[in-house]
Amino acid sequence: MNLWRLEWLRMTRTNRWIAIFAVFVFFGIIGPLSARYIGEIVEQFGGGIEVSFPEPTPADGIMQYSGNVQQLGLLVLVMIAAGALTIESRYEMAVFLRTRVGSTARLLIPRYVVVAGTGVIAFVAGTLLAWYETAVLIGPLDAGAMAAGMAFGSVYLLFAVAVVAFAGSALKNVLPTVIVTLTVLLLLPLIGLIPVVEEWLPSHLVGGLDGLVRGAEATDFIKSLVVTLAGTLALQYGTIRLLARREL
Amino acid sequence: MITTNSLIKAYGPKLALDDVSVSVPDGSVYGLVGPNGAGKTTLLGILAGLRRPTSGSVEIGVPRERMAVLPDTPQFEPWLTAREVVDLSRNLSAPEVPPARVEEVLIEAGLEESIDVRVGGFSRGMLQRLGLAATVIGDPQVLLLDEPSAALDPAGRREVLDVVTRLRGRATVMFSSHILSDVQEVCDTVGILRDGHLLFEGPLNDLLVGRAGTIFRIRLREPLDGLVASLQRASWAGSVEQLAPGDLRVTAIDPGQAERSLIRVLADAGAAVISVTPEGADLEDVFLELTS
Repeated sequence: MNLWRLEWLRMTRTNRWIAIFAVFVFFGIIGPLSARYIGEIVEQFGGGIEVSFPEPTPADGIMQYSGNVQQLGLLVLVMIAAGALTIESRYEMAVFLRTRVGSTARLLIPRYVVVAGTGVIAFVAGTLLAWYETAVLIGPLDAGAMAAGMAFGSVYLLFAVAVVAFAGSALKNVLPTVIVTLTVLLLLPLIGLIPVVEEWLPSHLVGGLDGLVRGAEATDFIKSLVVTLAGTLALQYGTIRLLARREL
Repeated sequence: MITTNSLIKAYGPKLALDDVSVSVPDGSVYGLVGPNGAGKTTLLGILAGLRRPTSGSVEIGVPRERMAVLPDTPQFEPWLTAREVVDLSRNLSAPEVPPARVEEVLIEAGLEESIDVRVGGFSRGMLQRLGLAATVIGDPQVLLLDEPSAALDPAGRREVLDVVTRLRGRATVMFSSHILSDVQEVCDTVGILRDGHLLFEGPLNDLLVGRAGTIFRIRLREPLDGLVASLQRASWAGSVEQLAPGDLRVTAIDPGQAERSLIRVLADAGAAVISVTPEGADLEDVFLELTS
């Protein structure tokens, strides 16, 4: 038993991975379906009201998926990550680990990698499902755009989990960590309303998948990608420093 | 092995530790006693490296990896089994210890029935034993135990004390406890803390012997009128209490003179003496005397 296996067991024995996968896979199935059949669905439940929708495009299938996972998928991932990354939320467990593991980096990295990795794999799985279903129901998507979109979305999830880790090390408790993380992640798009800074912010990557299948260039996201990667590393460093300095 | 020099720990204006200098001999079992809020947990936390002193220094003669700490209410991930908890501890603190040792340690801790049971259902006493097993698996050279027997039933307490006793000479053990009889039983050195001050530190015998012999318990065949008054008149006698008919407790302010004169006073009074025994002070008496 080592710290990597400990985190693997935390994810599997507490069924947290099921919660993460369920939300991404669910929207991966539902997104393209609702884009394809929205007209029929509204007709069925609309009480005789006739509404005409334009013919769905493949990008609509991905947009439905992407919009949902950016909200609910991210919320579930942040909550689960907060449970694992508030390392000192329980004093006795923290004593057990801190007195046996000399380096806080050694303590943090397995937790971060397992949670963020599960989130990224679930996101990629959901996206692949949405892609397949969109291709079958609506039409083909550009593979390069999808690959780049998945990469950008994954980097954003790594950033979001790094925010959780930093907040968790500063606040120690799960609920405040979730609240602060969500506040930060919601504030970024608001700051992005200022046109000059928008393309530099991590939140710009959130629209990567949708934007790319609608014809945006991957280079449009480079600035945001660099800032997000740098921010993720800085948050990790900050988390390690905070944990090392904190007294129990 | 463990020394602190003028240790001060302040939480805002309050001093949790005020100029505390302890010295824990190699291989000894050191009992840290004191009322709630005396600073015991703070001192253990600083020694464990979990808290930083405001000033002063700590010297521990072993690497951090050779130290083990057991908090007063150990907790573990509820979805791990007892075996996994101890194996994790082994892997983190002493990977060179063979995995087979995990089961042996759990059996020694009295958890043989629960080795592969998830700890979420463990009682507080079982968690305490598991914590102890996870602490000793790495064969540490220094053990810091915070109230290790507080949550245990008498049998569990006995087992913990036996484990601590077995460690004497093999490791340096410092443990805090409210149960003074436990400290008196297993510790050879004692530190008494109150309000962040170290009131006494030294061998347990030094603490108790200075007070042993100052009290004599006298049992008589039958109560004797006038004996109490005779004893009270003696220059060496402090107080004389009649606990029951024929049962006296005499406190001597001059123990040497008392040893020379007490029997003569009894003989002169014509007392039918069953026994005269010096009453040793116990740690509880001394603790109350020092901390009150």
